[in-house]
Amino acid sequence: MKKNTGSKIILYILLLVVLLWTIVPIGWMLLSSFKSTTDVLSTTPLVVFKPTLANYSSLFFGGNNLLSYMRSSVLAAGISTIIATTLGCFAGYGLARSNFRGKRHLAFWIISTRMAPIAAVILPFFIGFTFLHLINTIWALIIAYLSFNLPFAIWIMNAFFADLPPGIEEAARVDGATRFQTFWRIALPLTAPGIVTTAILCLVFAWNDYAFAVTFTGPGSQTLPVAASQLITQTGVNWGQLTAIGTVVALPMVVVGLAVRRYLVRGLTLGAVTGE
Amino acid sequence: MQSEPVDVRRQNLKPARSPGKKRGRERWISSFEARMMLPALVILAVISILPLLYILWMSLNNVTLLGGAGITSRWLGLGNWARMFSDSNVWSGWLVMAIYFVATVGLEMILGIAIALLVHEVVWGRNLALSIILIPMFVAPVIVGLLGRFLVNPTYGLYSWVLRETGIFTGNILGGKVSAFVAVVLMDVWEWTPLIALITLAGLVSIQPQVIEAARVDGASYPQRLWHIILPSISGIIIVALLIRSMDALRYFSIIWQATDGGPANATKIIPMRLYEVAFRFLHLGYAAAIGLVMLAVSILVANLFTRILRERGLAG
Repeated sequence: MKKNTGSKIILYILLLVVLLWTIVPIGWMLLSSFKSTTDVLSTTPLVVFKPTLANYSSLFFGGNNLLSYMRSSVLAAGISTIIATTLGCFAGYGLARSNFRGKRHLAFWIISTRMAPIAAVILPFFIGFTFLHLINTIWALIIAYLSFNLPFAIWIMNAFFADLPPGIEEAARVDGATRFQTFWRIALPLTAPGIVTTAILCLVFAWNDYAFAVTFTGPGSQTLPVAASQLITQTGVNWGQLTAIGTVVALPMVVVGLAVRRYLVRGLTLGAVTGE
Repeated sequence: MQSEPVDVRRQNLKPARSPGKKRGRERWISSFEARMMLPALVILAVISILPLLYILWMSLNNVTLLGGAGITSRWLGLGNWARMFSDSNVWSGWLVMAIYFVATVGLEMILGIAIALLVHEVVWGRNLALSIILIPMFVAPVIVGLLGRFLVNPTYGLYSWVLRETGIFTGNILGGKVSAFVAVVLMDVWEWTPLIALITLAGLVSIQPQVIEAARVDGASYPQRLWHIILPSISGIIIVALLIRSMDALRYFSIIWQATDGGPANATKIIPMRLYEVAFRFLHLGYAAAIGLVMLAVSILVANLFTRILRERGLAG
């Protein structure tokens, strides 16, 4: 019994170390975002200080304010998520229910599109968008985000639909429902958690993108991650504002991401691993 | 939505056919399933096959940008490819990439599995602990890079202060080649270890508790149970985690971009950073396309391994 208690203590000490490693950077970002400029630039780190909202107020109400960046982020990530999830539901169902010889190759083509390195994809997209005069518009980002979110959504929804017991849909067919009605009224509602997970992960991937955003956008269509990187200038870095933007970018994604924690494994492994 | 050809063999069964049953290929093309997939596949074809053909063409040309929206190109044949194979900068980009890949993915696998084993043993506070552990995954890589840069700033950084006060490291972390490399590796490890832990934990949860309990009753110690029962039963899932992480490791480069921009002295300039620099700083888009195609080939290779594993696990195709 004594040995058991000892190993339990070690267990929780190790857990504490892991939690500290995880939380200190985030906690420090949060803390620093409420510090005044002098407190951020203190050479000995300050844990006790007089909190201020100055960083946030200058970000949202200052000269070059964050609202237009935020609008671009919400639009680009939101629209690409809606398109990807909607089409992904249809195509994922079609893929899950079809059984033809080339299916393997079709599935592989879809997944390899999702996995293409961003740095390589940027090149033809950049030329294409330049040619179509889409550079500096939100549409360039929406299309670019579809390039990884659409194949992602198809794969995940395919996995979720493949999980449904076939009996339920067969029963609906016996009752005279068409294929589409079966999909729309039976399969779709049953995979609601899957759809929400897919949408949230699409949103996170698009919202967190930097490489596409910094290459394809100009003033007026730049997103929040670009705004964050612009605070690093030749003359110096406003760390207080930077930590505030960091919080604004990270917080919503952490909240929505943890909201679907149960289904995350399924989503992040592209359907390969089933969660709890 | 009900105009599909009638399957004669199954006419006696009123509900046409059960989902997922084998059907002929020519029937599939005009089937319900194909029509469901059509909109997505058309869009996907436009945004993946056209760019692929275009990047192939680019790699055979000297493509440069003019001011405004003009692009000029001149046929080069295999010129870009020949240049790439003799370019020591590209080779060093791949070398740094290889070291970075092994260091980050290796550490993430070891720590992720260890954390999963740890959390699996925890009873009290397990859900809360897991939620906290997962947080870094959702933070944008750009923010991770910038935050890392803040934490190791030689004057105001929390972590450089800790290292200085404890006497472990007193220099400018991002100023030294080795320390900068270690720093960006740890930033990547901070962000992506949770993913491995999450996937591994799903594997651990799926092991029958009776199996482990039986071994415990038979007197097997924890290391014995780990080595002979736990690890073998989750090896498939560990491989899935490794491949998922490998594919993403080839995709993203924003952490390094923000933290060090490839410096100091190219110590952290992994191949995608080199590509981006060639394309958008030196404006050699055709040459960058050749580098990009090699990256694409590597990622397709990994994706191929991934789908093969999935098929073995009976999950795709």
